[in-house]
Amino acid sequence: MKRFAVLQLSGCSGCEVALLNAEQWIDNYDLEYMTLVMSAYEIPEVEILLISGGIRSEVDLYKLRRAVCKADQVIAVGTCAISGGVANLGDRQAVNEIFLNEADRLHLPDILPTCRPIDTEVDVDLYLPGCPPTPDLFMAVLEEKPDLKIARTVCQECGLKKERDMRPKHLLGFQQGEVLSDICLVNQGYLCIGTSTRGGCQAICTLAGNPCVGCRGPSDAFIEKDSQVWFKSIQRVFSHMTDIPGTEIDQALRSPQLSMFLFQFADYADIGQAPRPKEKVI
Amino acid sequence: MTTLTFPLSRIEGHAQVVIETQAGEVISTHFEAMELRGFEYWVQGAPAEQMPVIVPRICGVCSTAHHLAAVQALEDAYGVEPPPLAIKIRELMVLGQLIQNQATSMFVFTLPDRMGLSSIFEDGDSEDSEKIRGEIVGRALQVRKAGTDLISLAGGQFIHPVKAVVGGVTSGIDSKAAAKMREQLAAVLPLAVDLIDTYWNLSIGMKDRIGDWGDDSATYYIAAIGDRDHNFYSDEIRVMAPDGEICDSFSGREYRDYLTYEETDYSYAGYTTYKGETIRANSLARVNMGEKAGLSHTDHFLAKFRESFGKPAHGILLYDLARGIELAYGIERALSILEEPLDNEDTDVPYTPRDGEGYGLIEAPRGPLIHHYQIQNNLISEANFVIPTVHNVQAIENALRVVAERYIDANKVDMELEQAVGRVVRAFDPCIACATH
Repeated sequence: MKRFAVLQLSGCSGCEVALLNAEQWIDNYDLEYMTLVMSAYEIPEVEILLISGGIRSEVDLYKLRRAVCKADQVIAVGTCAISGGVANLGDRQAVNEIFLNEADRLHLPDILPTCRPIDTEVDVDLYLPGCPPTPDLFMAVLEEKPDLKIARTVCQECGLKKERDMRPKHLLGFQQGEVLSDICLVNQGYLCIGTSTRGGCQAICTLAGNPCVGCRGPSDAFIEKDSQVWFKSIQRVFSHMTDIPGTEIDQALRSPQLSMFLFQFADYADIGQAPRPKEKVI
Repeated sequence: MTTLTFPLSRIEGHAQVVIETQAGEVISTHFEAMELRGFEYWVQGAPAEQMPVIVPRICGVCSTAHHLAAVQALEDAYGVEPPPLAIKIRELMVLGQLIQNQATSMFVFTLPDRMGLSSIFEDGDSEDSEKIRGEIVGRALQVRKAGTDLISLAGGQFIHPVKAVVGGVTSGIDSKAAAKMREQLAAVLPLAVDLIDTYWNLSIGMKDRIGDWGDDSATYYIAAIGDRDHNFYSDEIRVMAPDGEICDSFSGREYRDYLTYEETDYSYAGYTTYKGETIRANSLARVNMGEKAGLSHTDHFLAKFRESFGKPAHGILLYDLARGIELAYGIERALSILEEPLDNEDTDVPYTPRDGEGYGLIEAPRGPLIHHYQIQNNLISEANFVIPTVHNVQAIENALRVVAERYIDANKVDMELEQAVGRVVRAFDPCIACATH
C-alpha cells in the first residue's frame, strides 16, 4: 500500500475535510501523518506528501522544509498552497502594515511579511487547485491512473442553457436572490467565469445558482500565461454573450472575492514566479 | 521552573498547551493558538455583498456557520426579512453541519482516546480493538457523509457553501431530491443510534479507568438556541447560571454589553467572559439548556443523559456524550423538515443594499457565532467575528489546570498527563482557524 502524509500550513482545513469525504483511500493507502485526524509528531518517509495552506509564519516555513525531504512526490493542494490563497488578500498594501503590527505577539511564531505559495520555497511535482478540491479530484491525484474525466472548463461541466436573446446591459450584483435555475448565469448578468475556469469540480457552484469564482484557476489554455490574457478572454465572452460594458467587467474582476483565485497561477503579489507548466496541474 | 509543551492533534488547526510548574505547583496552563490569517483586517474594503463568499474561508470545518452569519449580518444591515422557506433551507444547512461536525468530533477526533489509538485510521494492536475499530469506522464515515450530503443539497457544496444569499436562498429543494435525502438519513439513523450507544459505553469505560468526567466546576453556559426546543436558528443568546437557572438573554446586537473579549500575548485566540465570569459554550451548554425535542431517539438519549448526570451537568468529558444527543437530533430534525414541501414558495425577497451596521447570529456546533459589520459606500469598513471557540478558552484553561494539578507533583509528572491534556482540549472541540481567523 502506498504511504501518504498530509501537511497543513496556514489554511482553513477545508482541503483536509474534503479528503475525509474521499473515503476510497482508506482501504488502499496508508495515511501516515495528518494532524487533523491523527496524533503523530513527525512525518515519516512517504511516497506522497499533500500540502495544504500557505506559508504565513516562520513555523509554516520550518515544517515545510523539513517535510518535503521525506517524500518522493510533493503535491500542492488547494488555493492557499498554490498562491497563498485567501490570506493573500492581507498583503494588499493598505492593510498589510496594520495587519503585521496587530499580529505581533511576544510568545508566538513570527508572521512573515507576506503569505507565500509553497513553491517559492520547495519543488512541487503536482498542483491540485480548488477551494477546496472536490473528493473526486483528491482521488484522481492519489491514484496513479486517474479514471476521472476532467472537462476543459467548468462551463462544459455545467451545461446550463445559453440564451441568444438574453443580453443583459449591466452586471447584477455578485449574487442576487433570484436565479433562474436552468439558464446560463452569464445570460442572467452574473459575473460567472466558468467559461474559462478549469473543470473537474462538476460545476457544483453554478448548478447551485452561484456564479463561478474561478477557484480552480484558468483552463490549460491560459494557465501558463499572464493573468491579463485570461482577463481578456473573460471580457470577450461577456462582449459576445451580453451588452455589459467592458469597463464594468474589468472592474468587477478585480474585486476581492475573485482576486483571491484569479491570479493563483500567474502574477499575484509580485512573487516573480515562472508560470507553472500545465502538465503539472490536475 | 519547568515548562511542559504539548502539541495538539485531532482538533482543527494549530495549537499547543503549555504548562508551567515550580516545585510541583502548577503556575499556569495556557491554551495557545498559533496561527493567524487576519480576516478582520483585510476584509476592510471588500464589497459587503461578497462577504458570504469570502468568510466561509475562515474555516473549512465551520464554513456553513460563517456563510449564514455573513448573510444574516447583511440582511440586518439592509433591513431584509428572508421568507419562511429560506429559513427552513438554511436550517437544513445548519443541521447538515451539526451532523458532520458531531460525527467527526466523536468518531474521528475523540474515539481514539477511548480505544488507546493514535487515529481511527490506524490498525488496532489487539484483535478485539481491531474488530471494534473495523465495525465503527465505515459506519461512522457513512453517518458523517449524510451530514455533508445534506449541506451539499441545501447549500450547494459542503465546504464553503454558496446557496444562502441576502434575502433568502437561491433555490428550494424539489420533492425528488428531498425524498432521496430522507432515504439516506433514514438509512444512517439506526447506524448513528448504534454508534452513539457504542461511544457512550466506551466513554463509561474510559471514565472508569481515569476516575471522573474531568473538571466539574459549576459554570455559566451560553447558547443561541430557542427556548421551546433545541432549535439552532434563534435570534438571541441565553445565559444559564451555574445553578441551572436561565439568568440572562441578549441579541447579537447587544453582545458587547454582556461579553468581554480580551487578548493575550501567548495566543492569537484571546478569550471572552460573561460579566467577568468564565463561560462555556458548545454541546454541553445546549444540552443543559435544551428541553425535549419531540424526536424519539433524541429524547431517549437526552433522558438517559439527564438521569445519569443531572441538570446542569458540569463534567467536561460530558461534552463528548452531549454531542451524541445532538447527532441524533440533527438527523431526526432534518428528516422531519424534509417531509415538508420545500419548493412551493418563494425562496427570496428583493432588497436594496444600504450603508450601516449589521449583526448576524448563528448557533454553530461550537456555540454562538456573531458577525458584526460596518458598511460604508457598500464596502466593509469594519468587521468583528465573535467566535464560539473563543468563548471556551478560559474554561479550557481551567480544565487544563485541574488535570495538571492532578498529574503533577513535586517529584514527578505522571505520563497520563499528555493523554489527559488531549482529552480536555478535544472535549471542547476547539477550532483554531475560526478562533484566530
